[in-house]
Amino acid sequence: MRWVAGVPASLHTKLMAGFGVVTVLFVAMAAFGVHTVLNTTQQAKLLDEAHQRVGWSQEIEQALARQMQFSVLALLSGDEATIARILRENNRFNELLARLDADEAAEQHGLVEQVRASQDEAMGVVADIANAIRDRTLGSVTSDLLAHQERIDAEIGVRVGKLVAAEQRRMATLRDSIASANRDLLVATSVLAVSAVVLAWLCGFVISWSVILPVRQAQGFLDHVATGSFDRRVELPNRDEFGALAERMNRMSEELHRLDRMKVDAASELAQLNASLERASRAKSEFLSNMSHELRTPLNAILGFTEMMADGLYGEVPEELKDPLNDIQVNGRHLLRLINEVLDLAKIEAGRMELALDDYSVAELVNTVRTAMRSLAEEKGVRFVTEVAGDLPMARGDSGRLTQCLMNLTGNALKFTRAGEVGIAAARNGDEVVFRVSDTGIGIPAEEIENVFAEFRQVDATVTRQFGGTGLGLSITKKFIEMHGGSIWVESRLGVGSTFFFSVPLRVGESAG
Amino acid sequence: MTQRTVLYVEDNEYNRKIVRQLLGRTNYRLVEAVDGETGVAAAFECAPDLILMDVQLPKMSGLDATKVLRADPRTKETPIIVITSFAMSGDRERATAAGASGYLAKPYSPRELLALVRQFLPEDAA
Repeated sequence: MRWVAGVPASLHTKLMAGFGVVTVLFVAMAAFGVHTVLNTTQQAKLLDEAHQRVGWSQEIEQALARQMQFSVLALLSGDEATIARILRENNRFNELLARLDADEAAEQHGLVEQVRASQDEAMGVVADIANAIRDRTLGSVTSDLLAHQERIDAEIGVRVGKLVAAEQRRMATLRDSIASANRDLLVATSVLAVSAVVLAWLCGFVISWSVILPVRQAQGFLDHVATGSFDRRVELPNRDEFGALAERMNRMSEELHRLDRMKVDAASELAQLNASLERASRAKSEFLSNMSHELRTPLNAILGFTEMMADGLYGEVPEELKDPLNDIQVNGRHLLRLINEVLDLAKIEAGRMELALDDYSVAELVNTVRTAMRSLAEEKGVRFVTEVAGDLPMARGDSGRLTQCLMNLTGNALKFTRAGEVGIAAARNGDEVVFRVSDTGIGIPAEEIENVFAEFRQVDATVTRQFGGTGLGLSITKKFIEMHGGSIWVESRLGVGSTFFFSVPLRVGESAG
Repeated sequence: MTQRTVLYVEDNEYNRKIVRQLLGRTNYRLVEAVDGETGVAAAFECAPDLILMDVQLPKMSGLDATKVLRADPRTKETPIIVITSFAMSGDRERATAAGASGYLAKPYSPRELLALVRQFLPEDAA
């Protein structure tokens, strides 16, 4: 099988060769069968002929016997009619002898000639008898003729007997040789048939196993590869399609092995990178958190002293110092808010911002913002309205953060509105509360809408100078709302106004319904 | 006419100065301490009527100091206002759990602080 597998021929060629061998065997068997049939027919014919010749020789013997009887009868009766009978038998005798001689083998030919000579001599005696009868001298020569006749008859008898025996021997020999030939034929046919079957079976066995074995090996190999082990190779003696297939499978396995190693390496590199990035990110957040605290402490003192100064704690403030003192306070508060928001963002990004969930009243929350913002609205001369739906039950969430969000949006609305109205509304929408903060301010250009929630984004730098703000408020608001599982969106028309919406689950941390 | 005593525990010098100047114009008597341990000692020694306790303090945190004061019979009933560095979620809960009577988030304005102090401890007219 290994040898067959190693033959450098295609599978197709090998299969064709196998079928060819089997076909040749069948053709050989058919030819041998035809040959056998022809041979048997020939032998049957020969046997027929031999049988016929034995028949003829026996008839010759009978004709001779009758000829002898008639000769004796002619001698005794002297009847010429009997001579005619003898001649008729003689004709028959000669005819048979001629027939026998016609396709005579050389060995019998001498014997036939001897019989013919004796017969000729016998016919001479018969002619003498016939003459004696005609000359009526039969009586004086009878005994001589009789004696002569008997001698010749005996001679012919012996010779014909030999002829008959020879023919019978020949037939017996022929029968024996036919029987022996038949035996040989039977043996040869059996051997040929058995060897043909064995050879065909062997061909089939070898070829099919030379196919099945590599397929099984390939299966085992592929199963092994499928488990993710690439340490094996499939080794086939085949130099046919299977050999080529095995070579390709090995290449595939090597390539998979290479890719697998690359993947593992890349994954570990990525994990290391990830870990170091995480460390860096945590370090950054901690740094920001510490820095924010360190920055805030002196700032707190600055704001405290400034306020006390403005409140006249250190004596009456001269009129010309009131304005710069106010500027110090405004900028100081702005810086403080910026620092607080940076800290919020850092905490959110470090994943260390946690919501303090509690029950709260939406109406109270809106009222807190209203109270805090009312004076600012009055200062700016902007109408400030709030509207809370009556069907709102107690909600659950981080009310402090949600207040911060609503405060942020309202602060923005007031900041960007010079005249008209700023409104806060809250209503229930299924399992959610939807807050709405609308203004009649400057609006947001369409191309900037998607950027409003990004960090440090304001419509443009002029806006920042004109209206102030840290640029972090909306980004933090969005993150707090998302931490609640809610969402925020905005509708705006430039020069007409903006409306910010945000929705949060009515009961955060509890399954809906 | 008794002067009410306020103990202020704070490590930052300027914050102490603000409160000192703020209360200097009032009729409160101010006692200062710069860390948690001296704060607790001062509380036992001078028996203040109100304690302002910063959260981030050296040696002993403001929350731990509050717990110690609450465990002692001398200061068990004394109102304590805890001042945190920043209004973080959970700070108010932690302060209340430690036994704080009130809570003030930094950044606070001197006006707010004074209002809170007066709320807990009515100032006797000078």
